[in-house]
Amino acid sequence: MMESNAIAIRGVEQHHQHFRLGPINLDIAEGFVTAIVGPNGSGKSSTFRILLDLTKPDAGSMTVLGYKVGEGDDREWKRQIGYLPEESSKEDSYLRGSEKAAFVRQWYDGWDVNLYQDLLKRFEVDDSLKIGKMSKGMRRKFELALVMAHKPKLLLLDEPSSGLDPIAWKSMIELLHRYMEPGDRTILMTSHIVEEVRRLADFIVFMVRGQVLGKYEKDELFQRWQVLFVAPMNPASPSISSVLPSAWPGVVEAEPAGGGMLRIVTENAELTENALIDMNYRINTRQSLTLDEILDALMRRGAYV
Amino acid sequence: MWLPININENSPEPLYHQIEVQLRALIVSGQLAEGTLLPSIRELAQMLKCSVITVRRVYQDLESEGLLRTRQGTGTFVANVQEEDRDRQRTASVIEAVEAAVDAGMRVQLTREEMMQIIVQILDKRWKENG
Repeated sequence: MMESNAIAIRGVEQHHQHFRLGPINLDIAEGFVTAIVGPNGSGKSSTFRILLDLTKPDAGSMTVLGYKVGEGDDREWKRQIGYLPEESSKEDSYLRGSEKAAFVRQWYDGWDVNLYQDLLKRFEVDDSLKIGKMSKGMRRKFELALVMAHKPKLLLLDEPSSGLDPIAWKSMIELLHRYMEPGDRTILMTSHIVEEVRRLADFIVFMVRGQVLGKYEKDELFQRWQVLFVAPMNPASPSISSVLPSAWPGVVEAEPAGGGMLRIVTENAELTENALIDMNYRINTRQSLTLDEILDALMRRGAYV
Repeated sequence: MWLPININENSPEPLYHQIEVQLRALIVSGQLAEGTLLPSIRELAQMLKCSVITVRRVYQDLESEGLLRTRQGTGTFVANVQEEDRDRQRTASVIEAVEAAVDAGMRVQLTREEMMQIIVQILDKRWKENG
């Protein structure tokens, strides 16, 4: 796999009356799935629209697939992108699925009619229906087939699974994994579904209140963030109440737990453990944190800086 | 192809290490025969719900140990494991496990004699169980 960026965002800002996005600096590596995670209104969808030059930033610059966004003819690079917005467009409800597909395919040289048919079959979508008459789930699956049928190099998926039932959700996950198989394709997605990020993402980006809080390799993130229940090795040593665990390396939160123990949330388990051993503490129990628990802890911390 | 690899999310062992130890054992024990085509990096990542970065690291480590080989465009295969390699690998994983056990003992400040006693006790018990 080549190590290059499918997307590079440099100092991008967008100012609204009640919301300020950025400045955002972010690289999205080619060949990987990156999931942006964050509460509603944190600027995820705005970032997608800026990347596609649908709205203009007030500052900063971006490249997508090596092309500078907002300069020159954008058809070349947009042809290599599949973009699934969060909200379906209302205007095409009166069209049959097949009519919409016939319209879309004109714009893409790489449109693969067999792949399109295969996607419809796999998702059990009937494209002879009027789009407005499709169920919410079928409509989402139809839209997903539309953005993938031209075999894009880059998929931008904004909440792809919204409206999907568990069976359809599972086939979407499998489909996206298979899409990534060639190794030079890239997915940038947003998701509220913890399990979806867990199953798909290689990298996780946290975004809160218009800011990027950080980008992490997924497995490393879950390895580092842990809950530890600890106690002094020697019960006669200074009591729990007199120590200051919030100053220990890596510790994000600490509170007394039952049985003379402390419950510690760490963002660097290895660092914290080594410090604990040096201080003659023993680790009684460890638990991993879920993605939303990590996000929650990051946000609570962010509120005070 | 599915691989019988178990991941313990609450283990202090890093994910790549858990996968590597188990995959190495499958190869060294001969459960995965020479020439077996392994899942692609993306497929194994999907099965184990981990990132491709982790799987790539495991494949690279085992390749540099000579247990796997990658053929461009076709995939990753189980290499020919020599008899002496097999013996060395077999003991290597045991040595590592004993080292971890000793570390655990030192962490709770067991003496050398106490640890010896525990190991002998376990050996006696297991050998008796297995007749």
